[in-house]
Amino acid sequence: MSRAAAPLQWLTMGLLALGLLGLSPALSLSLLAFGLGVLTALKLREARSLEERRVVALLQLVCAGLLAALRPELAPSLLQGLAILMALAGLLALELGAGPDWKALLRRSLQVLLAALPIALVLFLLLPRLMPFTNFGAGQGMGAMTGLSDSMEPGSIARLAVSRQAAARVAFPLGGEPPPLEQRYWRVLVHERFDGRSWRSTAPTFPRPVVGQPATPPPPPAAPGEGIQLWLIEPSGLAAVPWSGSGRPLSADLRLQRSGELLNRAPGSQRRVYALTRTADQPGWRTTPPGPVDLLLPLGENPRLEALAAGWRRLGSDRERLDAASGWFRRQPFRYTLEPGALPREAPLDHFLFESRLGFCGHYASAFTTLMRAAGVPARVVSGYRGGQWVQPVGGTGYVDLRQADAHAWSEVWLDGEGWRRVDPTAWAAGDPLARSGAAAGSRAGGGPLDWIQQQWWGLDIAWARWWLGYDGEQQQALVARLLGEQRHLLGVVVLLAVAVSLAAGLGGLGWLGRRHRGDPLRLELERTLRAFARQGMAPAAGETLGGFARRLSQRWPSLADPLEAFVANYQQQRFAAAPSRAGRRTAHRLGRVLRRSLRTGNRPAEAVQRDHP
Amino acid sequence: MDFGRPQQGERVRLRMRNLYILPTRFGWLWLAGTVLLQVVGVQMQSNGTLLLSFLMLSLFLLTLHLTHFNLQGVELACGAPAPGFAGEPVPYPVRLRCPGRSEGVRLRLGGEAPGPALSLAAGEHELAVAWTPPGRGWQRPGLLRIQTTAPLGLFCCWSRWHPETAQLIYPARRPGPVRLLPAGSAPVVGEPALASRQDGSDDWRDLAPHRPQDSPSRLAWKLLAQGRGEYAKRFLDHPEAAPLLAPEPGLPLETALEHLSERIWSWHGRGLSYGLELNGQSVAPGRGVLHRDQCLTALACCR
Repeated sequence: MSRAAAPLQWLTMGLLALGLLGLSPALSLSLLAFGLGVLTALKLREARSLEERRVVALLQLVCAGLLAALRPELAPSLLQGLAILMALAGLLALELGAGPDWKALLRRSLQVLLAALPIALVLFLLLPRLMPFTNFGAGQGMGAMTGLSDSMEPGSIARLAVSRQAAARVAFPLGGEPPPLEQRYWRVLVHERFDGRSWRSTAPTFPRPVVGQPATPPPPPAAPGEGIQLWLIEPSGLAAVPWSGSGRPLSADLRLQRSGELLNRAPGSQRRVYALTRTADQPGWRTTPPGPVDLLLPLGENPRLEALAAGWRRLGSDRERLDAASGWFRRQPFRYTLEPGALPREAPLDHFLFESRLGFCGHYASAFTTLMRAAGVPARVVSGYRGGQWVQPVGGTGYVDLRQADAHAWSEVWLDGEGWRRVDPTAWAAGDPLARSGAAAGSRAGGGPLDWIQQQWWGLDIAWARWWLGYDGEQQQALVARLLGEQRHLLGVVVLLAVAVSLAAGLGGLGWLGRRHRGDPLRLELERTLRAFARQGMAPAAGETLGGFARRLSQRWPSLADPLEAFVANYQQQRFAAAPSRAGRRTAHRLGRVLRRSLRTGNRPAEAVQRDHP
Repeated sequence: MDFGRPQQGERVRLRMRNLYILPTRFGWLWLAGTVLLQVVGVQMQSNGTLLLSFLMLSLFLLTLHLTHFNLQGVELACGAPAPGFAGEPVPYPVRLRCPGRSEGVRLRLGGEAPGPALSLAAGEHELAVAWTPPGRGWQRPGLLRIQTTAPLGLFCCWSRWHPETAQLIYPARRPGPVRLLPAGSAPVVGEPALASRQDGSDDWRDLAPHRPQDSPSRLAWKLLAQGRGEYAKRFLDHPEAAPLLAPEPGLPLETALEHLSERIWSWHGRGLSYGLELNGQSVAPGRGVLHRDQCLTALACCR
């Protein structure tokens, strides 16, 4: 057992602990990972024998595998990869009797890992994927993690509004510009139920597939020309995920609600990746007529508001009522602020509309939607994200970066003949952050170097999500179809052959690496030089010293006398040195090269002379 | 892992026909871990977990060969064993010629605990494997097991061999009574009596001019201080009453031989002279390593 084994295993334990820290304790699998991590550490502490140490290494690998299932993002994956490398190095160190030669150990484990990787990749890429066995684990412990929640009460978003945490990223991998800034509304939740105080969404927090029903077939892939929007969202605890409001889902996980909410069946405590087409056609939810719930309003809560709306109710059409309301809002001195103060329990919206006139998006959307309902226009509150910064990383796909601070709420009103129309009452207030951020867009793009690094990192992250996390059963089928075409039944043979070939290649590569590092470098250099002279017909005689041979050589090639002398002197000095130095080896290498080159160049004239005088 | 037909002969070359390889218990555990990660990967649809599980599977396949290559083509031969005592660990030399690098090689003789794992570079190596001989005489060390589990401990590759060359084993050293025959006090027949008067360190005899190689402790300091020149003292050992050692009567032969073995060893350590009288065979009194080994060999081969 090498002395390096214990430090390596503790180092692995540290890396795993770092990975475990980033887990949310809500999911049952992460509890399992925690438990396993703790057990592994305890086992490592008490392990004395080789067998126990080996089991620790295996437990560490399993722990890393669980972590990989829980945190598939780029940065945690790098950490997990490092932990796996260290665990393997620890396992190797257990078998090698050598002292703690870290460099050799790490080199050897990298070699073994690289030799094994082709086989693993062949299996990973070509073996058909299995579907999950049960729905175990889905939908458990979805605590609210971000500002968007299915219940919106003005004031609940104030907490998030200052958070610069990343919320989501959307990329357009097939090219294309992002929508203009004023069109960037990414809808998540539709709040239809109003109880006078808070707005609730009707969508289930987590959709469960109906038991006994076959899984929905995967949607057809994007047609050529349709474009793709690729979303990557941070853990949110919500089943509803952001989207642009148009496009067709491309993942089987996605389901579109009638209200225009997009639900994702993957657990909300993880980061999720999904794709939609990017089409501009009219989506179905926009023309789905409103139900009675879109007019529901508890009467008598806000008397002044109802009186105002009663005036508009007399107007002929919904459009005129909307125009009247927007005109009224523009005339009043509303101001946008993040700290409006709490609204009273009695008639809160009256207080906001007629007295304080201070609020953020939630206040405006809530008050405006209530006004519209009171005026008899079907209306609802929609929450999601607005704006977002367009980032173009070096050599990558551009993406729109959405932060929690971009969370927003707006209204949708139903207009006959047009369908649901988006109305953003916040835009009518003075000091709307979107107007400000539009003006400041130029200055924000040129942030500090840290911002730049973070943007590049997220670009990598998008690429990782697209190529690594996006490789699923369908991609695998597509790859097999591209490789084999009609000969799909040969897949088993092809996989076996590919595994055999990569195994042979791995073993051959390891053998070659082993040979390359064998032997004394000084001696190898000398032998290489002697071979060069042997090709010219000069070989040392039996019992001849190196010095004697060199003298014989310089008699035949007088021009080589100097490099020969330098080479021989250095060789002998290094050979008999107390501690052979790296610099000496390098000098030997250089002198040998000089000598061989002068032999090649100096030889030609000599031969010419010999030919002239046979 | 310890089964299979042992090889015979002076030297043996390990190859497909005489190397055995099986997964260790840890190897089976490793496979179970692979299956577990595969299940988790499928369940969570996690690419990282699936890749790790495939990686562990391919490491399993790869180390099957790497472990085998550690011993493939290795040549084993007996060295020239030095004599040792029964009942205590004795080194038995084994020569290994490795065609390539061999990692984690463990050698084990008989029922001993396996030695440390050795990483051997390509080329010739002479290794000493400890074993505990049960009795005296020319002994063959029994079954030599060579095994390796490197690089990952997933597989155990081993082979078994009976080395031909026997090792001379002296009786174990056990303190006890020994019969002393005084016959040795007379000069041995055929030797001049003066031969026993030899230079030694017991008694002061005379002075001689000091030579540079003489020890300073023998310098006659008193004379030097008196200014009479540098002289070295010459000492003389008394001709010893060198006894002949013989087995204690009344004891079983083996026990008596063990006592003799111990006596010879300790007297040799104290620089005493002794002879040996054993079943009609006798060794004249004397001292020195060769003399000791001659006596011990006589003990080892006594019938």
